[in-house]
Amino acid sequence: MGSWGFIGLAYGVASVALIGYLLFLKGRLRGAREEFAALEREGGRRTR
Amino acid sequence: MAPLSLAARLHGGVAVLLLAVGIFWGLKVVPPDAFQGDVQRIMYLHVPSVSTAYLAIIVTFCASILYLWKRDLRFDAVALSSAEIGVVYLGITLATGSIWGKPTWGVWWTWDARLTVTAIVFTMYVGYLMLRAFAEEPQAGARYGAVLAILGLPAMILNHFAVQWWRTLHQPSSLLRPGGPSVAPVMLWPLVFNIVAMLVAYSYFLLERVRLERIRHRTAEVRLKRGRRG
Repeated sequence: MGSWGFIGLAYGVASVALIGYLLFLKGRLRGAREEFAALEREGGRRTR
Repeated sequence: MAPLSLAARLHGGVAVLLLAVGIFWGLKVVPPDAFQGDVQRIMYLHVPSVSTAYLAIIVTFCASILYLWKRDLRFDAVALSSAEIGVVYLGITLATGSIWGKPTWGVWWTWDARLTVTAIVFTMYVGYLMLRAFAEEPQAGARYGAVLAILGLPAMILNHFAVQWWRTLHQPSSLLRPGGPSVAPVMLWPLVFNIVAMLVAYSYFLLERVRLERIRHRTAEVRLKRGRRG
C-alpha cells in the first residue's frame, strides 16, 4: 500500500467513526423524543 | 420536546464545513513533509483528534468534580456525554496513529510509552461507559463514574508527558512544548485550523448528547411521578 493508501485508510476510518457516531446519536435522540412524546400523550389521556 | 433548533442545525453545518475545508487544506494545499512525504498528512487528522480527546477528558473531569460537589445530575449529563465523545476521539487517535505508524515505523503497533498510556486511557473510558451502562441506580452510577473520570485526568497528563519522561519511539510534542511550536507555519496553520474544526464538531456532539441525557432525565422523572401516584 502506498502513502495515499494509508492516508485514505486513516481518513476513511475517521469518517466512518464520526459519521457513525452522529447517526447513532441522532437515532438515540429520535427514540428518546418519541418515548417522551408517547409518555406525555398517555398522561394527557389519563387526565382527561 | 423541541426538535433540533435552527442554531443547532447551523452549528452542525458549520462543523461539517470547517472539517471539509480542513481536510481539503491538509490533503491538497499543504506540501508533503520533507522527511515523511505525503503520509505526514495523517497528522492533520491525528493531532486534532488527540487534542479533542484531551479536551473531552478535561470537560469530563471538571463536570465530575462539579457533580460530586453539587450532586446535580446536569453536571453528570455533561460528564457522561463528554466521556462518550472522548472515547470516539481516542479511538480515532489510536487508529490513525497506528495507520501512520505502519509506513513510518514499519509496525502497526508497538508498546511505546505514549501508545501504551493512550491505550490505557482509552480502556479506562470504555470502562467508564460500561460502568454507567450497567449501573442499576443512576445516582450510584454517576458517583462511581465521577470517581473514575477524576482518575482519567492524571492518566491524560501522564500521556502528554510520556514522550518527555521516557525515551520513546513516538516523537516529542510539536505544538504544546516549551519554546513554542516546532512546526513550519505552512503546516502549522492547517493543523491549528483542523484542531478548531474538530473542536467545533466536538461542541456540536456534546450539546446534542447532553440534550439526549436531558430528555432521558425528564422521561425518568415523569415515570417516577406517575409511579408514585400509582
